[in-house]
Amino acid sequence: MILKIRHLAIDFGARRVVDIETLDLRTGEILGLAGESGSGKTMTALAIMGLTATSGARVVGGSVTLDGRELLHLRSKDLRRIRGSQIAMIFQTPVSAFNPLFKVGYIFTRALRLHGASRSEARTRARVALAEVRLPFDMLERYPFELSGGQAQRLAIALAVALRSQVLLADEPTSALDVSVQGEILDLIRRLRDHEDMAVLFVSHDLAVVAELCDQVAVMRKGRIVEFGAATQVLHSPTDDYTRQLVDSVPRLSALREG
Amino acid sequence: MNAPTLADTRTRSAVATARENPLLLAGALMALAIVLVAALGPLIVPYPQDAGTAMHPAVILLAPSWQHKFGTDMFGRDIFTRVVYGARWSLGIAIVVLAISVAIGVPLGIVAGYFGGLVDNVIMRVTDVFLAFPALLLALAFAAVLGPSTRNAVLAISIAWWPWYARLARGQAASVAGRGFIEGCRALGVGRFRMLWRHVLPNSLTPIIVSVSNDAGGVILTAAALSFLGLGAQDPTPEWGLMVSQGQSFFATQWWLVTFPGLAIVLTAMVFNLLGDGLREVLDPRRVVGR
Repeated sequence: MILKIRHLAIDFGARRVVDIETLDLRTGEILGLAGESGSGKTMTALAIMGLTATSGARVVGGSVTLDGRELLHLRSKDLRRIRGSQIAMIFQTPVSAFNPLFKVGYIFTRALRLHGASRSEARTRARVALAEVRLPFDMLERYPFELSGGQAQRLAIALAVALRSQVLLADEPTSALDVSVQGEILDLIRRLRDHEDMAVLFVSHDLAVVAELCDQVAVMRKGRIVEFGAATQVLHSPTDDYTRQLVDSVPRLSALREG
Repeated sequence: MNAPTLADTRTRSAVATARENPLLLAGALMALAIVLVAALGPLIVPYPQDAGTAMHPAVILLAPSWQHKFGTDMFGRDIFTRVVYGARWSLGIAIVVLAISVAIGVPLGIVAGYFGGLVDNVIMRVTDVFLAFPALLLALAFAAVLGPSTRNAVLAISIAWWPWYARLARGQAASVAGRGFIEGCRALGVGRFRMLWRHVLPNSLTPIIVSVSNDAGGVILTAAALSFLGLGAQDPTPEWGLMVSQGQSFFATQWWLVTFPGLAIVLTAMVFNLLGDGLREVLDPRRVVGR
C-alpha cells in the first residue's frame, strides 16, 4: 500500500465536497476514480498533491500518507520536494500544461534539476524516458505549441517517468484526445504499471475507459465513495444504485451487460 | 486555440513580420532615426555650445536660413542645435520614467495578480488611489511640491505612471495564473519565486512591451507639458517643452521659436504611438492570422 487516504474531508466554503473514509493505492496497480462532474474526484487528486488551496478549497481533516509519511500539514518546502519527484500529475489539456515560452527539452532538464539531477544525468534520463514513451528525441527541440495533444500527453508521462515518480495522478488524461490517441495513452499507462511499478490513480468520468484500463474502481458521488471493488465486478454487476445508473448511461457497457 | 506569443513571432523571420506590418516597420524606422539623432547629436549640430548658456547678441531672432536651419532664439542660439539636443533630453526622460514605472509597477502587479486575495486587494487599492487622478494632474502636483527641475519632473511623472503598469501587469498575471502550465508547474514542485520570475512574468510581458512603446510618446508629452508650465527642465536646458514655453511670446512675429520644438514633440510622440500600435498588431492574440 503506497498511498493511503483516511477520513479525508475537504470543504469548499461551507459545503463539504470530499468526504472519503478509506481509499488505498497499491504499487503496480491502476485505481480508477469514477464519477460525474463535481463529484470530488479531481479535488481528491489535488488534495494528495497539497494543491487544494489554489482552487479555494480547504482540507479540514483526515490523513493522506505516502509510504507511511503524512502528506497533509507538511511544510510547503517539503511538499514541493515530493511533488514531481515522488508523486507526478498529468492533466486533461496536455498542451497547455507546458509553459509555451520554453522548449520541451528545457522544461525536462529544469524539472529534473529542480529535483536534484545533475545536468548530464538530466539529459540521459530525459532520453531514456522519451524512449520509454516511444517519442523521437528531437521532440526536445520543439515548443509546446508545436505538439499534438497525444504527443504532449506522452511527454507529460515521460516527465513523470524521468522524475522516477512512484505515484501518477492522472486527471482525465484522455478526455481531450481523440479515440485512437486515447488507446495509445492507455497502453502507455499500462506499461508504466507493469514496467515501472507505478501506482496510478486514474480520474475519469468515462466508464468505458475506466473499465478498459483499471484494476480497481472507486465510484464517487457528492464527495463520497459509493462503491469500491475490482473493475470487472463493479462495472459488470454494480450493487449501488448510482453506479448502476452510471453504467446504464454508457451504451457499450449496458449492451455488454445484457449480452 | 493557443494565443500567439513572443515564441511564435520569434520563429518567423523579421523580414516577413515587417512586410506584413508596414505600420510597425514605419514606426520602428522612425523611432530608430530619432534615437540615432539623439545619439549622434554632437556630430550633427553646427553649434554645440548653443545647447548651453551661450549668447550671441549679434544674431538674435534670425529667421531660418542656411546658417541657422531652424532660425535662432532670443539669445541668438541656433534652434536646430537645441532641437537635436532636445531629443536626448526627451528620450532620456522617457527611458528613466518608464524604467522606474516598470520596475515598481510590474513586480507589484505580478504579485497581486498571481496571489490574489488579500495581497491583491492591498496592492490594488493603493494603486487605485494614484489612478483616481489624471496622470498629468498628479505629475503636476508632485512636481510643484518637489520643486522645478528636470530630476524632479522625472520623479513626479514616474509617481504618476507606475500604477498603470501595476494594473496592466496584474490583469495579465491573473489570467496567466489560471492557465494549465501554472498548475503543471505546481505539480512539479516549482517554488513561488521561480514561478513568478520564470513562468508568470515572461508570459505576461507582451502587452507590457506594447504599452512601454506607446507610453514613451505620452511621457515625452507630459515632460514637455511640465517644462512648458515651468515645473520641469529649467533654462538653459534644451528641452522641447521649455523651448516652446520660452518662445511663445515671440510667436506672432518669430514663429520659428515655437514651431520647430513643437513639431519635434508631435513627431516623436506620434512615432512611438505608431511603434506601439505596430507591436500590438504583431503580438495581439486577437489579430486575424493568415489572410
